[in-house]
Amino acid sequence: MSSDHIQPRRKRSRDWTPALLLSPAFLVLIFVVLVPLLFSLYTSFTNYRLIRPETLYDWIGIRNYQRIFSDKHFWSAFGRTIVFLTIALNLEFILGLGIALLINRITWGQRTLRTIMMFPMMFSPILVGYQFKFIFNDNIGILNNALQDLGLSDGAIAWLVDKPLGMFTIIFAEVWMSTSVFAILLLAGLFAMPRDPLEAAKVDGCNPWQVFRHITLPFLMPFAFIAMTIRSLDVARAYDIVDVMTGGGPAGRTELLWTMIARVGYDNSRMGQANAMAYVSIMLSIAFTYYFFTKLIAARKYMGGAE
Amino acid sequence: MAMITKKKIGTVATWIMTFLLMIVICLPGLWVVLTGFRPNREILAKPAIWIPENLSLDNFAKIFGFGAEQIAIPVPAYFTNSLVIALTSTFIALLIGMSGGYAFARYRFKHKNGYFLGLMLSRTVPGIALSLPIFMVWSKLGLIDTKLGMIIIYVALNIPFTIWLIDGFFRQIPKEMSEAAQVDGCTRWQAFWQIEFPLAKSGVASAGIFAFLTSWNEYALASQLTRSTDSKTLPVGLMDFTAQFTIDWAGMSAMAVIIIVPALILTFLVQKHLIAGLTFGGVKG
Amino acid sequence: MADIQLNNVTKNYGKLEVVHGINLDIEHNEFVVLVGPSGCGKSTTLRMIAGLEEITGGEISIGGRVVNDLAPRKRDISMVFQNYALYPHMTVRENLGFGLKIAKQSKDIIEQRVNEAAAILSIEDLMDRTPAELSGGQRQRVAMGRAIVRHPQVFLFDEPLSNLDAKLRVQMRTEIKRLHQKVKTTIVYVTHDQVEAMTLADRIVVMKDGHIVQVGAPLDVFERPVDTFVASFIGSPPMNLIPGEIALQDGRLHVVFQAENTMPVPRDLADKVVEGQKVIFGFRADDMMPKAHSLPILGEAYDLRLAVDIAEPLGTETLLFSTFSGADIQTKMFNPRRVEPGEVMDFNCALDKTHLFDAQTGKSLRG
Ligand SMILES: Nc1ncnc2c1ncn2[C@@H]1O[C@H](COP(=O)(O)OP(=O)(O)O)[C@@H](O)[C@H]1O
Ligand SMILES: [Mg+2]
Repeated sequence: MSSDHIQPRRKRSRDWTPALLLSPAFLVLIFVVLVPLLFSLYTSFTNYRLIRPETLYDWIGIRNYQRIFSDKHFWSAFGRTIVFLTIALNLEFILGLGIALLINRITWGQRTLRTIMMFPMMFSPILVGYQFKFIFNDNIGILNNALQDLGLSDGAIAWLVDKPLGMFTIIFAEVWMSTSVFAILLLAGLFAMPRDPLEAAKVDGCNPWQVFRHITLPFLMPFAFIAMTIRSLDVARAYDIVDVMTGGGPAGRTELLWTMIARVGYDNSRMGQANAMAYVSIMLSIAFTYYFFTKLIAARKYMGGAE
Repeated sequence: MAMITKKKIGTVATWIMTFLLMIVICLPGLWVVLTGFRPNREILAKPAIWIPENLSLDNFAKIFGFGAEQIAIPVPAYFTNSLVIALTSTFIALLIGMSGGYAFARYRFKHKNGYFLGLMLSRTVPGIALSLPIFMVWSKLGLIDTKLGMIIIYVALNIPFTIWLIDGFFRQIPKEMSEAAQVDGCTRWQAFWQIEFPLAKSGVASAGIFAFLTSWNEYALASQLTRSTDSKTLPVGLMDFTAQFTIDWAGMSAMAVIIIVPALILTFLVQKHLIAGLTFGGVKG
Repeated sequence: MADIQLNNVTKNYGKLEVVHGINLDIEHNEFVVLVGPSGCGKSTTLRMIAGLEEITGGEISIGGRVVNDLAPRKRDISMVFQNYALYPHMTVRENLGFGLKIAKQSKDIIEQRVNEAAAILSIEDLMDRTPAELSGGQRQRVAMGRAIVRHPQVFLFDEPLSNLDAKLRVQMRTEIKRLHQKVKTTIVYVTHDQVEAMTLADRIVVMKDGHIVQVGAPLDVFERPVDTFVASFIGSPPMNLIPGEIALQDGRLHVVFQAENTMPVPRDLADKVVEGQKVIFGFRADDMMPKAHSLPILGEAYDLRLAVDIAEPLGTETLLFSTFSGADIQTKMFNPRRVEPGEVMDFNCALDKTHLFDAQTGKSLRG
């Protein structure tokens, strides 16, 4: 076996298959998301108004950002959005946990319950909005009708108009729609939970609360993070709900960042300024997702998953 | 003795809570469905009529353009648009998602987590925020108010989550399956279609149903980028029933039923695989 | 002809080289076992032969044909995987016939070959079940059946028995040997279990850290390990290894251990060592037995006394554990009797069967 039979070491060619397989996905996303976003980044520095195309080239630097950052309506919408998200996500987590624990205890009919629980997840947000607009309607809504016919209230409660109640109904609708994401994933977590640590903890003298606090809950956290990540992917779905229920009104009482963007961009046709706001909302969403996604990756490692 | 009663109370409490929960989940939807079968006169009645007196299909006949009363809202066109847009975009998103999900599940490459995160972040852009620049770009390309324009957007919207789910399902299939098939004489392409795809089929189907529902239910983008019967979808059409000060509750509820029913059927089909897909993709890494 | 040549084969994962220039010639119809501790590169080598891993450097040929750039399906091989990799959505019959179906064989041929393979492995009764309905041993048979239906030139096995329980493992081992006698094909078999290697192989290839350490017939490797690694890896119990130094005593070279214990250097090794050389003395349990409990010793015998700390009776033989100059050693006795802990016994060492290794390189001084 002489050594000239051996081929010269071929230069290691990189395997391009994964790049090829991923390219359609990235091409579409570049075309539909990245390019428009870059364009909107540009327009956020212009005085672009839809009705006056020539304003597209009217570069005004960071004036749009200055304007929105000094606008107290913007800040109250921003603050309201943060409060809305914080309350909604926390409520969804706590209720979802409660529901998961509840359903986990039930053996008979559990499959049916699980299926029913998934229904709200599949509802169009616009439908959820409509549904609660109907139910909370001050005049013909089932809620006020019931309260009145049961004699619990004599006047019509203005659920959608009143200042704190307006936010309450919107959060109610949002929580109704999204709690099942948490409930279902936490339930999956409970199913996957190994028995041994629970039994070991009991033998070690933990009371039920301690078992829950120190064994069950830490095990469930990765599942909660999946749910949080999924939720943070489209927190802005709330726009649909608000748009149909109150349209951000009355008098901006239920105005969220997203409804404000729509009004400034389309109704007032100040695209530049709307895009500047849109960028703030994008950063907000990215921050949420990034936070939960890194938590999820960390939790995966902790669970002994690959990579 | 005390133990037994305590346990019994616990069981009863569990059932009561479950019952309340189911009421909160089901009642709003059921009430809307019921309203879809009632005439406006009864819905608006004061004092409220609790037991429906006139249940009929009149509202449905009306919005589909049959029957005596006619309305100006072209629901059949919206329905067709929704169906065409949702089905086409789902199909394309699945093809692209399978290809991408397979790459994530089967290949090692640099910055894998980074690419994955990038995909996910593209999905986080709020629909309404994205609608502004797409509106500007689409109007340059003549894609405003076209089905094609909406299909392209929904494909993009569905890719990240589809990849997430499908990646999870492919990971569950040992890599040796495909290797065994290749040793058995398959090309990598054949091994995929003969072995890996059949095994991941149910997962792909549930990813598909999810994508379909996303497109079917989407409102924020569609409401800004569609205008006429050429491309308007059901969720956008729903708003046609609201005028400045009046709402056609009966018609709107009937239309809500039309939007809900496919979603409910599909949920029923998807539920088992969905949980598996999310948790495997998410937790087992 | 299905001989296999590995010519200076290397494998890198990224920058990390895990197989370092392996050379190996496997003859037609030979049963070769790659054995070594976990992570030493056995699977990687096997998968390069199969075409499932790209070959970073060097050349692999099967039947005289260089296969470096050939896809697995073009190499005329079949492989049995550690976890069997049966197709879960197909019945046993479909699993067996899949390769032939892909090769577009006629229905009759598929049926005939599948039945033939089923008969060889006695799985005729399982043909319409799916893998989920089979026990571990049955899955193992089906995986082998799937390998033989295509009448490939080469069988590759990657730890096929490691998922079976101990009893089944012994049984399947015999079956694999029988299968090789029946179907007469070149087999490359990977295992970390040296017993499997010894019992199955025509030739053993001992690997360590991506290198081949020794190649040889099982008994050759057992009797003449090239270094301390092979000596302690092959054979059960492992060879006893005791460090010492060569010194001249009473006109003969001895190995002097800690605590003044000594052992004469076997005569055939006397000219391989020099005074003052640091060595490792090795002997197998079978070559050091208590008098009256030993096999007849061929060649020179050497007597010594040892205290036995623990005795493990196994039936026909008993394992004895002692300490000798600070090293834990294992010896054996036949015709067992009760041994008290701490009992001092008179041992016979078969000196001509003992080994000397260089303390620095670990290489055998038998050369
Ligand atoms: N895909 C891979 N990427 C990086 N390193 C790997 C990969 N596969 C195997 N290795 C490394 O290569 C070495 C040899 O692995 P392997 O051939 O599987 O060992 P064996 O089969 O002998 O147990 C190990 O150190 C392992 O960590
Ligand atoms: Mg291995």
